[in-house]
Amino acid sequence: MADDPDKVWPTGLTLKEAEEVHSYLIDGTRVFGAIALLAHVLVAVSTPWLG
Amino acid sequence: MAILRDTALRKIQGIAPRFLPFADVASEAVPLSRLLRLSLFQVTVGMALVLLVGTLNRVMIVELSVPASLVSLMIALPLVFAPFRALIGYKSDTHKSALGWRRVPYIWKGTMLQFGGFAIMPFALLVLSGFEQAADAPAWIGQGAAALAFLLVGAGVHMVQTVGLALATDLVEVEDQPKVVGLMYVMLLLGMIGSALVFGWLLQDYSPGKLVRVVQGAAVITIALNLLALWKQEPRDRDRANRVETHPEFRDAWRLFVQGRTAVGLLIVIALGTMGFGMADVLLEPYGGQVLDLSVAATTRLTAVLAAGGLVGFAIASRVLMDGRDPLDVAWWGALMGLPAFALIIAAGPMSSGIMFVIGTGLAGLGAGLFGHGTLTATMRSAPRAQVGLALGAWGAVQATAAGIAVALGGILRDLILGLPGSGGFRPEAPYTPVFALEFALLLTAVAAIFAVRRKQARLSQTANYVSSQDRPGPNAVPSDPMPPDRRPTGGEPHDHRRLTAL
Repeated sequence: MADDPDKVWPTGLTLKEAEEVHSYLIDGTRVFGAIALLAHVLVAVSTPWLG
Repeated sequence: MAILRDTALRKIQGIAPRFLPFADVASEAVPLSRLLRLSLFQVTVGMALVLLVGTLNRVMIVELSVPASLVSLMIALPLVFAPFRALIGYKSDTHKSALGWRRVPYIWKGTMLQFGGFAIMPFALLVLSGFEQAADAPAWIGQGAAALAFLLVGAGVHMVQTVGLALATDLVEVEDQPKVVGLMYVMLLLGMIGSALVFGWLLQDYSPGKLVRVVQGAAVITIALNLLALWKQEPRDRDRANRVETHPEFRDAWRLFVQGRTAVGLLIVIALGTMGFGMADVLLEPYGGQVLDLSVAATTRLTAVLAAGGLVGFAIASRVLMDGRDPLDVAWWGALMGLPAFALIIAAGPMSSGIMFVIGTGLAGLGAGLFGHGTLTATMRSAPRAQVGLALGAWGAVQATAAGIAVALGGILRDLILGLPGSGGFRPEAPYTPVFALEFALLLTAVAAIFAVRRKQARLSQTANYVSSQDRPGPNAVPSDPMPPDRRPTGGEPHDHRRLTAL
């Protein structure tokens, strides 16, 4: 399976290409997560909703 | 089971490419509709600029009563990143990707930065202004968060615009570049005008909740429009991905970019002209109001006159450049047009002539349009294909820095003159005339600088005949003598890496 790095899978992508597409998704999720966390902290500073 | 799997695989094969964000192939001619879609990224850039410089500037000072000095500091923060545009452009030129992409990853990252900045910005501003319990929190939380938000948006805007313009340059033939430049400028202007109107209308009766909705709405629109703009634009390129390329370091690439040709001269021209046209941006309205006694509605219409002049300028520039005129000639005419424009604006004060002022403003817009279009087109053409990102990054770095300095300098000069002892006895136009006169002088210098660059070009093109056999980019430094199209194909053509690896 991993013997041919240039094999084009049914998605039209090679393994390396698919991994790169996936990395954009992962990075995006991380960035969005961090932003959401920061936004929540800021909201909590002005209008605390816990305690 | 096997049949089922086969049909499933075939189904996937049929569907998949439609849901993947690559262009299928580098087609010979990119249709206008696709370029229009790509130019949507300029709309988001315009929206971000208006939000930062216009809307939030006002909201922070008037509604949130943040000290004006802190506000101008925050708004100036994104300028810090402007010089890095050259580096971003270089990075995208030499990006290593399994997909063979160079531009999309950077536009996507820039979009995320812009989105992130806008997403936290309203909360950061509310904390900064001490909204509700935030008054008890230490001040650095609000200041730090607001600074971070502005920096994120600024970095995102620089990234998206630089790499987006590089992608647009990649996609079209040299002859079609003027059309693309015009389109990009028009979309930037439309984005700015449209979002200014919409933000003004939405924030008519301000409330904190509305601020959150408007700014975060802008964040979502940014991501939506940029995704739409990017989708299936840059072709996937397995050859480029598999090629082992040695790229020069940034410093070497920069040296290659500036050496021997007219790149530095062009950058100086851009700085001079941008400052010359940009200084008046924030002064025209108060000048009209305080010196010529125009009403608020009339001075707002003034901005429309300026923008309309710009649009006419872009249209004329696109037209004559498509006919094969030299972009530097067009820039020269633009700078020249600025001279009578500012002369009229200066004279309008003492003669208290509103008509002269309006005509001068329109001419200034027209000149700025011609100048901006001409210099950007010249930049696109001055670089070999493998250095397009670097060239456009340098253009953007100089342009954004010069524009920022110009606006700040114009305001500072006016305030300095107003603060002079005995300024109460001055005529009302006294604080403005020196600024307009300085613009006049800057544009005069720009005209002379363009003349000098043209002279140098002419000299280089004479020697280019024997240099071109050594693979020097002689002809494309002289756009009146464009490269034969067969040497500059569209889209995912191979790098001109002989030039770069020849270091």
